[in-house]
Amino acid sequence: MERWQPRRGRGKGNGSYSSSSQTRSNNFRPSNTSNHPTPRKPAPNHTISDISNKEDHNSSEELPNLIGSCPYMCPVDERIRRERLRDLAIFERLNGNPSESSSTLAVKKFCRTISTKDARDVDLRPVFVLEDTLNHLLDIFGSKSHPFEVIHDFIFDRTRSIRQDLSMQGIITGDQAIGIYERIVKFHIISHYKLQRNNMNSNSDSNSSPMHHLNMEQLTKTLSSLYHLYDQTHNANPEFYSFYVLLHLGSDHQPTGESLSLWLQKLPFSIMKSKEMMFSRRLLRYSRFGNYKRFLETVASEATRLQYYVLEPYICEIRALGLSCLNHGGYKLNHYPLLDLCKQLLMLESDVESFCKDCGLDTCTSEEGTKFMPSKQTSFCSPKGSPKYYPLVSKRLKTLFDEEPEII
Amino acid sequence: MASYMSMGEAHRRITDYLNRLNDVISYQDGTSLKQLLSLSSESPSFLALADALNLFQDANRLIKQADKYSQYAEIVAPLFRAMQSYRVGHLVESYQAFEKSANAFIQEFRNWESAWALEALYVVVYEIRILAEKADRELASNGKTPEKLKAAGSFLMKVFGVLAGKGPKRVGALYVTCQLFKVYFKLGTVHLCRSVIRSIETARIFDFEEFPVRDKVTYMYYTGRLEVLNENFPAADHKLSYALKHCDPQSEANIRMILKYLVPVKLSIGIIPKKSLLEKYNLVEYSDIVLAMKRGDLRLLRHALEEHEDRFLRSGVYLVLEKLELQVYQRLVKKIYIIQKQKDPSKAHQIKLEMIVKALKWLEMEMDLDEVECIMSILIYKNLVKGYFAHKSKVAVLSKQDPFPKLNGKPINS
Repeated sequence: MERWQPRRGRGKGNGSYSSSSQTRSNNFRPSNTSNHPTPRKPAPNHTISDISNKEDHNSSEELPNLIGSCPYMCPVDERIRRERLRDLAIFERLNGNPSESSSTLAVKKFCRTISTKDARDVDLRPVFVLEDTLNHLLDIFGSKSHPFEVIHDFIFDRTRSIRQDLSMQGIITGDQAIGIYERIVKFHIISHYKLQRNNMNSNSDSNSSPMHHLNMEQLTKTLSSLYHLYDQTHNANPEFYSFYVLLHLGSDHQPTGESLSLWLQKLPFSIMKSKEMMFSRRLLRYSRFGNYKRFLETVASEATRLQYYVLEPYICEIRALGLSCLNHGGYKLNHYPLLDLCKQLLMLESDVESFCKDCGLDTCTSEEGTKFMPSKQTSFCSPKGSPKYYPLVSKRLKTLFDEEPEII
Repeated sequence: MASYMSMGEAHRRITDYLNRLNDVISYQDGTSLKQLLSLSSESPSFLALADALNLFQDANRLIKQADKYSQYAEIVAPLFRAMQSYRVGHLVESYQAFEKSANAFIQEFRNWESAWALEALYVVVYEIRILAEKADRELASNGKTPEKLKAAGSFLMKVFGVLAGKGPKRVGALYVTCQLFKVYFKLGTVHLCRSVIRSIETARIFDFEEFPVRDKVTYMYYTGRLEVLNENFPAADHKLSYALKHCDPQSEANIRMILKYLVPVKLSIGIIPKKSLLEKYNLVEYSDIVLAMKRGDLRLLRHALEEHEDRFLRSGVYLVLEKLELQVYQRLVKKIYIIQKQKDPSKAHQIKLEMIVKALKWLEMEMDLDEVECIMSILIYKNLVKGYFAHKSKVAVLSKQDPFPKLNGKPINS
């Protein structure tokens, strides 16, 4: 078929179930990588065209992709429907009216139950509209108008819808798509960090809220999609690969459901040798060895802001390991000066004292007023619940966070 | 190149094949049947048949001519197409046609009561995988997305389902499982192995001991590799050792493949292979690592990891080997202890942290006292060193008894 036709394809994921994006292959037969029709190869000689192979075609071969034509952030039908049902998020309400929105406020929701064959091109947004939509969303993300969790919830859902539109149109190449995925990754990372902090401050018993867990899930999915796009290009950003490694630090061994060794097998050499990957691989090595000192020092001296956000939850774990080792192996008649502990764990003295308590360890004060941690205490335990965060003592990190505003 | 063939000869070759196929099935001659289906073997008779088909052009008419030919038309007609396409190098089309033929074959196979055609089924399964790999290479070279191997995986799952029953055919299930493993490993979708492993290991119809040895070895090899990827060393050791033990001793290539993964596992549990073993099976990439472990030479370990980084990463053992650093440190400290013991046995168990700094410096590794203390504390915590460290006097004091416990086949506790 040489004639141009609007093409309908089967994208990588659809709303009805979460597709495993660890695999290279899709749940559906993947469509043609380009958006143009591929002319059938001409038969080199008479014999080939007589080999009747039409009968051999599998039914789901190469169906064309849909091309979105919705010019708004939200398809008109959906907006009208949601206005009528009063199903509008705070950020979508015109003048706070729960049943009125506008084309500049309404953003398409993620739809769990839609499948590619039911989609209409008027409901799908083309890439440039998706970019504008993302800009709008990230402006909201940056504002402090509402509690963080409310903002996060909205952006979480609407960015998922953006990814859904991309995948339903089979858009798996292009700098624009890459840019969109990268920015959504950044959103998830910042949320990962902020939700964890919020967790800590609320003193809740659970280690991580469902929101945090779901965010992590979508973070890994978005990363996987991004890597598929990177496979097609030559301008992959290695920092985005480093995030994946950093997610595997800690006792939560396979947050992505896949062995890290397996993932590393498939990486291109240039990425492996990049500064960002070498950094994260070194951290991984220190972490697996248990070298808490080098680990913390390396984070302090080399981590980028986003890398830090990803690995911050692990810092408490490795500090606890350090404390446990020093307590366990220390000479029982030697008390360990807290000031020295500070150096090992990159903490402030007041924080160290607090941290010891969190880990069930006592501290004592000498006659001169110096504080110590006695060795060989048997009461050590991992900090319960959501661990309190003590800042990493590092001039460099402090400058990094003070000066650089969070722009996505 | 096909030598000149006449129409008459082409006709004869095709009908010969059709006759043979029919006879072979009637007599339930599994061995002969498998030879009739082995496309990628590229035997002279196959090539000649494919040429005959391409020349004759209308094999379908021949098939319809007689009842005994048309009985298996669903299998033969697409099989002929597969051969023709294969012969002219159109591998995607060949795969598609072969899959159709294989589907029809499975339907017939299901109806045959005994397991007489199992060997032939193995050939079909093998061909599906091989043709799919070739088809994907063709797709990739044309800038398209490779997808046939994934389709082959689905097909093999179907076959597995057909064999997973109570009858004598069930002993074929492990062969199909191993073919599936090869598909999934090639695609990188190893998590899909889980469901078929679960079936083999927990379904009541299967008794692992009943399966052919060759398949058991292959099965243990792949499941052992999965354990390596997940760093379950006791399980990996058990499975890969089983594969090694039961592997054909003449098959050096297979032994090498098993050892490639078994050596890192053994190293992780403190068992060091002999140099002669590494040399015999050409596993030289591990030589320096083994040497580093024997000497306590951290620099050599790092260097060996760097030199073969690509190879280790591709086989998925890099992280495992990296972690051997702990044991190398243990060995280094032990060496210092031994040297001290020779000088003054009564003081040997006290090692100044400064000594360790010096030793590391000699290995071109810069480390301050604090970090050495950190490392000692870790070694003690993980029971690689028995003793304690005195923070104030910057000394590590080793236990007088067994200060460097051996791993004894157990992995280091995290």
